[in-house]
Amino acid sequence: MEQETSSVLIDLRDVYKIYNEDEENEVRALDGVSLTIDRGEFVAIIGASGSGKSTMMNILGCLDIPSYGDYLLDGTDVMTLSDRELSQIRNREVGFIFQGYNLIPALNAVENVELPLIYQGIHGGRRREAAMDALDRVGLSDRAERRPSEMSGGQQQRVAVARAIATKAPIIMADEPTGALDSRTGQHVLEILHALHEEGTTIILITHDSKIAAQADRIIRISDGHILFDGPREEAEL
Amino acid sequence: MNFRQSFKMSMQSILGNRIRSFLTMLGIIIGVAAVMIMVSVVQGQNIEQKKYYESMGTNRVNVNASQWGGKDVTQQLYEYCLSLHDYVSGVTPSTSYSGTVKYKTKNCNNYTVNKNTIGAPQIYLGSDQYSICNNFKIAKGRDISYLDVRKYKKVVVLGDRLKSYLFEYEDPIGKEITIGGQTFKVIGVYAAKDKKSDYSLDYMGVVPYTMNRLLNKTNKLTDFTVKAKSPEATTDAVTRINGFLKGVINPHTGSYSVYTDNSWMQQSEKQNKMLSYVLGGIAGISLLVGGIGIMNIMLVTVTERTREIGIRKAIGGSRKSIIGQFLIEAAVLCGVGGLFGVMLGYLGTLIAGKLLLKITLLPSIPLTLAAVGFSVLLGIGFGMYPAVKASGLQPVEALRAD
Repeated sequence: MEQETSSVLIDLRDVYKIYNEDEENEVRALDGVSLTIDRGEFVAIIGASGSGKSTMMNILGCLDIPSYGDYLLDGTDVMTLSDRELSQIRNREVGFIFQGYNLIPALNAVENVELPLIYQGIHGGRRREAAMDALDRVGLSDRAERRPSEMSGGQQQRVAVARAIATKAPIIMADEPTGALDSRTGQHVLEILHALHEEGTTIILITHDSKIAAQADRIIRISDGHILFDGPREEAEL
Repeated sequence: MNFRQSFKMSMQSILGNRIRSFLTMLGIIIGVAAVMIMVSVVQGQNIEQKKYYESMGTNRVNVNASQWGGKDVTQQLYEYCLSLHDYVSGVTPSTSYSGTVKYKTKNCNNYTVNKNTIGAPQIYLGSDQYSICNNFKIAKGRDISYLDVRKYKKVVVLGDRLKSYLFEYEDPIGKEITIGGQTFKVIGVYAAKDKKSDYSLDYMGVVPYTMNRLLNKTNKLTDFTVKAKSPEATTDAVTRINGFLKGVINPHTGSYSVYTDNSWMQQSEKQNKMLSYVLGGIAGISLLVGGIGIMNIMLVTVTERTREIGIRKAIGGSRKSIIGQFLIEAAVLCGVGGLFGVMLGYLGTLIAGKLLLKITLLPSIPLTLAAVGFSVLLGIGFGMYPAVKASGLQPVEALRAD
């Protein structure tokens, strides 16, 4: 039993996310989903737009809370946590890579990367160093002083990746990380994800693109809020 | 959350929308400046008034005893006042004479200042204690002495303004002037104590009170000035002299009054304080309106930056840190506005002081600090609602915004 809790990182139990419940326009974005993800896995959640995959990521990343069901993250019941504890989990446990980069336009690259470290309370030189290390990993240390508006889409996404990895969070969640990129820069981002996976980071990749999903070891296909398929890549019909 | 980072963000946001920020701050700037100018002018007026009273001499009791029948009691009154030496440091008659004063071709009846005809000066019939009682200092020559009084010496000590008018650059000591047709020798000049006003306190002279019968053709001394040793002694002296006069003056044949400038001073100080509250309050309302402007703009900022709030929450920003950031922004906006307001307030106070009070007036340091502190508090107060609103958003909802 003890063995099990140490290897299971994410444990969704019969989770529902229902918008406008009991009204005419009720939407069941997640309709009773159960799912476990182990430490160190590379999982792709695949589905068409409107399938509920983004809702899934929001719940997995503690950006949103389920309507019903339980979510245990590293053994902790997320539903019982306070706003402060939730923000700490988002800060320390999860690194997000969004489709739309979501950088803060008023800050330059390194300041954007520093942001999660600021919220961790890391100060001064140590913070700048960690941020520069992360930028170095994505090959952007020479553009640290640039604002997002002065960079290409690929560069912005790499800054977003740097921000996600700067805290060395055990989980990286990437929502369509290559969606707005050309295939070459997209490949670069995926390479970084692979490298992180090699180091033991749990990667959860959300995409509609089966070619991208093929990078993962395990595929979860979602449609209309239900899991249609969950298994190793080799068995998935991609 | 890091304060420096928040502060930097605030400055970026303020500088990024220069015109909007300036217009927002304008309310605070005008409010702070208005409060400072109004309060400073009242304070300045208060200080000027205090100076004026102090130059006349504080703790001074003015006694008047007029009689139209019965036995003259003024000599008795004089002696009684002198006997109060426990309370009193000086007593002088202060009956005045107003008549022609001349030196060579200069006639005081022609004296005008700024087109106001001032005319003849007051010549006071005083004792050797006149200068003590009225806070005059000898600048040149000597004061009236006990012997001058006793020996009926026809000598005069001039106030600075009268001396200047009669003698200009000539040395007045030893010169003879005529007062009401009588020749008096100038033995001294008092130091100026009121250089500015047209009806100057220095446009006067003092002769021994024994000259009364020569000038006013009477021995009756109706007015006395008593200098008490302290504010408490003033009250005592007023009570005692009142008691004495009540006993000796028959209300059918005479009347008397005893009063002190101290009460006037307190009265005017009270009025000034009231005035500064009222004017400061009115100006404070404009400051409040400025604060509402800040709240409005912070609400707009929250809406504009919903996505940024979402990002911050997604990567670990807690409610507290988001509130902190928006509060700092509002406080910086108000604080910078407050600083500009202080600058404008200094300028305005300087100009108002020159125009209204003819002095170099600057706002006091506590007032300045209070104005800036208040505007920062205003920022925090009015920034609170938008900040709490911003922090309450669910990250996923905030991220959905454009």
